[in-house]
Amino acid sequence: MPDAKASERDRLADHAAIARLVDGLLPALIAKLSTTRLGELEVREGDWRIRLRRPTAGETKDGRRATDRPSRTQPGHEGHGHQRSAPEASRPPRIALPTGYADATIGSNGSGGAKTTNGAGGGDYEPAQPVATSPAVGVFHPGPRAAAGTRIRAGDTLGSVDVLGVPQEVVAPVDGVVGASLVEGGTAVEYGQDLVQIELAASAEAR
Amino acid sequence: MFHRILIANRGEIALRILRACRTLGVEAVVAYSEADRDSLPAQLADEAICIGPADARRSYLSAPALISAAVVTGCDAVHPGYGFLSEDESFAEVVRAHDLTFIGPPPEVLDRFASKEGTRRLLGGYGLPTIPGSDSMIRDDDHALEQADRIGYPVLIKPSAGGGGKGMRMVRTSRELQSALRVCRSEAKAAFGDDSLYLEKWLEETRHIEVQVAVDRYGHGIHLGERDCSVQRRHQKILEEAPSPALSPAARTDLAERAVRAVVEAGYENVGTLEFLVDADGNAYFIEINCRIQVEHPITEMLTGVDLVSTQIRIAAGEPLGIQQSEIVPRGHAIEFRINAEDPAHDFRPSAGLVENYQAPGGPGIRMDSHLYPGYDVPPYYDSLLGKLIAWGPDRETAIARGRVALDELVIDGLTTNVEIHRALLENETFLEGRMTTSMLDRVGSAAFLAAAARS
Repeated sequence: MPDAKASERDRLADHAAIARLVDGLLPALIAKLSTTRLGELEVREGDWRIRLRRPTAGETKDGRRATDRPSRTQPGHEGHGHQRSAPEASRPPRIALPTGYADATIGSNGSGGAKTTNGAGGGDYEPAQPVATSPAVGVFHPGPRAAAGTRIRAGDTLGSVDVLGVPQEVVAPVDGVVGASLVEGGTAVEYGQDLVQIELAASAEAR
Repeated sequence: MFHRILIANRGEIALRILRACRTLGVEAVVAYSEADRDSLPAQLADEAICIGPADARRSYLSAPALISAAVVTGCDAVHPGYGFLSEDESFAEVVRAHDLTFIGPPPEVLDRFASKEGTRRLLGGYGLPTIPGSDSMIRDDDHALEQADRIGYPVLIKPSAGGGGKGMRMVRTSRELQSALRVCRSEAKAAFGDDSLYLEKWLEETRHIEVQVAVDRYGHGIHLGERDCSVQRRHQKILEEAPSPALSPAARTDLAERAVRAVVEAGYENVGTLEFLVDADGNAYFIEINCRIQVEHPITEMLTGVDLVSTQIRIAAGEPLGIQQSEIVPRGHAIEFRINAEDPAHDFRPSAGLVENYQAPGGPGIRMDSHLYPGYDVPPYYDSLLGKLIAWGPDRETAIARGRVALDELVIDGLTTNVEIHRALLENETFLEGRMTTSMLDRVGSAAFLAAAARS
């Protein structure tokens, strides 16, 4: 079935393109957007387009839990198995796909993962704060460079998440200074969970 | 019984397993990918844990992610559902190595039934009829002609190596066979570096009929009747029904009893499904066994009243079956309509997106297994199954009539679904007479099929 093969090739090519965008471009874009007062950034590459939009005033802070696993709740009860927050802020950045595809939400790669946790407050933008996230589901062990105040570069190892005895690196998404740890060492964490806050180099220097 | 089960799947089957856990008083942890954060099973779970990104290779197909999730959430068993890692014996093995129970056959049983060819030989040895074929690889033309005469034309020439149709030909006469052998040999040689061929009987106009069995650890097994899955499009099942309109009560009992006897003797454990091709003369040939819960299990549940997912969990926990064959008395007729997010008007192109409105049908005999809710965003990464609408009636006509009403009641706004093909099937003479075969929809063409239904 040549059709199936061709579409399989297309699909793999698409996956590769998404991986390139997510791993390479997205963290840089987020950092860029964080340090400017721009509301929106768009970059085109080949058939692909990434658009990042900063939550506007009135949209709530990213409400995802930062420290705990979801706790047992009753079905139908207000808090579900996981906390839900304002739809726009709770979602990873949206990537616009080529025509014919649904506008898809692409999760950021764990090792290069970066998220902004600050929405806008009081109608004025504050520099958004990046966070190093968990690359896997397992047990978090902070490393020496995860101590608050440590100056770090994007790509530095801040610790590891132990997956069945195999450590997976927690990587700093941007240059900056280590801020608050959101999870204690030895705690079980899920994929994508916020672990260590990072103060951006620019804003840290300004203080 | 288990204390906590990790559900290593998504969509409607994750929800189905969650409901079985609740019924048994077992806590359910749902493992979800980033794309399924807002899914119904993740919301209803006792605990939900994100295991990876949308890409299934790094989430639902990642054994380390799933097992790590089970370990950190304190689970003692893993339910794989269907698809993904449900029949992966190495996954079952790793699950056990971490002191967790794989809900399905134990790894060594999965291993025994892992190869299709090996399983056919194994169960053939325990009395299941298999598709007749040559006694060995073809030695020369004379050997081929002699074997084809014994099997009876038409026959299918198949290469021993590889697949994908290379080196494969159906022939109707001895002359065709002689000329085709040469072509097949060179094709097989070119494609696989191996020109050995064998013959198999070519079955025309077959029905797909499968037998549901359940066997506990103590060698006590029962069958729960058969399902007819002959309504297919490009080898994908669309609609299933039970009992099969093609089998007489005697033939049905005979097939099911032979199936359960063979798997018990071969040492099978847990729920399973034996698939058969049934030809126009009513001969059944065993083709494969599915060592997992199947998409279409609800029609059997509707007929027998047995909760198959709970049974699967109880057997994995080491409980005896606790039911005798004499207690299984199938009642009435059930039809399952697979509701897929795909567009029948455009070659069943899959669709994804926001479910603007969703309303499940109801009434006597109607069951809807679906993870949809209004406002749910169907992710584009996984299969297109939105849910299963099941219609039961005391007889086939009533089940069909209830199915029509339920399909009309079902509301799924925002997505294109295949509901039209089901409506068309329920107006189609061949279906109504119970004469569907696996190749019929493809031969007619789905577009022509829909157009014919629209005219009538």
